[in-house]
Amino acid sequence: MLQLDQNNLLITKTLTERVNAVEEKSLDRIVTDFDFTTYHLLTFPDQKNQILISVYLKCWDDLVKYGVVDYLKGKYSPYSDVLTILDPKDAETNYNYSIVLDLERARQSDATSVINEISYLKRHCLAAPFERGFARYDELAEKYASSNTYSEEIQGELLTEEVLVIKYRGAEECIFIKPSFDRVTVIFSTTFKDEMDKTFGKVFLQEFVDARKRSVQTAPQVLFTHNEPPLDIRKAAPTTKFDTNKGYVTFVLFPRHLVKGDRRDNCISHIQYFRNYFHYHIKCSKAYMHSRMRHRVKEFLKVLNRAKPENVDNDGRAIENRKTASGRRFDARA
Amino acid sequence: MVTVRSSLTAAMCLEDFSSQLVERHNRPEIEVDNTHNPELVLNPMVIARNENEKILIEPSVNSVRVSIKIKQADEIEQILVHQFTRFLTSRAENFFILRRVPIAGYDISFLITNFHTEQMLKDKLVDFIIEFMEEVDKEISEMKLFLNARARVIAEAYLTPFD
Repeated sequence: MLQLDQNNLLITKTLTERVNAVEEKSLDRIVTDFDFTTYHLLTFPDQKNQILISVYLKCWDDLVKYGVVDYLKGKYSPYSDVLTILDPKDAETNYNYSIVLDLERARQSDATSVINEISYLKRHCLAAPFERGFARYDELAEKYASSNTYSEEIQGELLTEEVLVIKYRGAEECIFIKPSFDRVTVIFSTTFKDEMDKTFGKVFLQEFVDARKRSVQTAPQVLFTHNEPPLDIRKAAPTTKFDTNKGYVTFVLFPRHLVKGDRRDNCISHIQYFRNYFHYHIKCSKAYMHSRMRHRVKEFLKVLNRAKPENVDNDGRAIENRKTASGRRFDARA
Repeated sequence: MVTVRSSLTAAMCLEDFSSQLVERHNRPEIEVDNTHNPELVLNPMVIARNENEKILIEPSVNSVRVSIKIKQADEIEQILVHQFTRFLTSRAENFFILRRVPIAGYDISFLITNFHTEQMLKDKLVDFIIEFMEEVDKEISEMKLFLNARARVIAEAYLTPFD
């Protein structure tokens, strides 16, 4: 399993099961996802054929700023006959966004596609600011298409371009999106829990940087810095205390990645879960190293135990098994 | 390696030796402060391949302390060695001869007392230490290679679908 899935398998399963079930049962399930995301699937006490799906995201306030509500509306309104979108103000308490799925109607039509879309809820939420950033890139690209982009005024204008900040895991780990006329820069800040993570992370990131040179030339450019934020986001980055466990990873997306349509969607889903992917693989390597060490220690123990003579008497001293030339032992006579 | 082997064999001629200071105590003389009876501790020796790979043998009348410094060329190896030795020392009770805390400046220490040499075959103990030294280097570099290979694979796997 090299790649992580974008959608939430448990949601897909639960909903499919519900839709296909014959009798109505009540359902109350909390589903968690990456980055402290929580889903709540709940049937109403009196109407068991209605499922309320609520989601909580840590960075919801940021997302609202970048138009997540409209984006989600765009995503889910095609299914309006089975899905009712609740106004964010009416969302379940402690959750940010709620939708209601009508099982009765979902049964009548083909429900797989709507379930699929629901399982992508987190992806869609986080996609909103990316869409916003990329749309801004479109504008800028058009605006500067015919002008000399090296002139100082334009460079100056670009410098003041707003940076979109998503604090997706609290203030410590953020995504910054900075559109420009010929690229979009996406910067992740991430923290490492311990020294080992940090070193592994360094190795991995170095390979990310090199991979582009070596084999996948069309990939976005990757840069990384330790401890201090890159110049682009110096202003936007919350200037926390000096933290040696912090790293910044920069992806530079070029126009070829931003072609509208499938490719842009793909790019958004893919870049979103960079942090999850990255840390997941660090953990995997650690686990592997651990099992490997365990194995090696066992081997060492075997070697050490070889040093113990096989026949040990009660005092722990080796019994001397001397034999005569003919192969007979000296046995103690009773 | 040959040097290490012969020195270890020589150093392991240990005898049962009760403490001169405390009655009815029997303690590994290398571990205690022997300013009162310096005759019990012999000359320590260092066998080094280079700055980063060396072994320190400290013999005494009834115990030998062997400390090994494992090669650590860079940050990754450092962290791997650290993890590995921590892993070993936390299992020290199975390893009879392993010292829980290494001597300062070394990565791992063994303490072999006369009781160990009485219970186990001396040659095999020497073999163990030799094999340990050989294997540890191999293991660490293999793990490092693996880490790099894995990093490369996942980086490519991540970046390819962008296009």
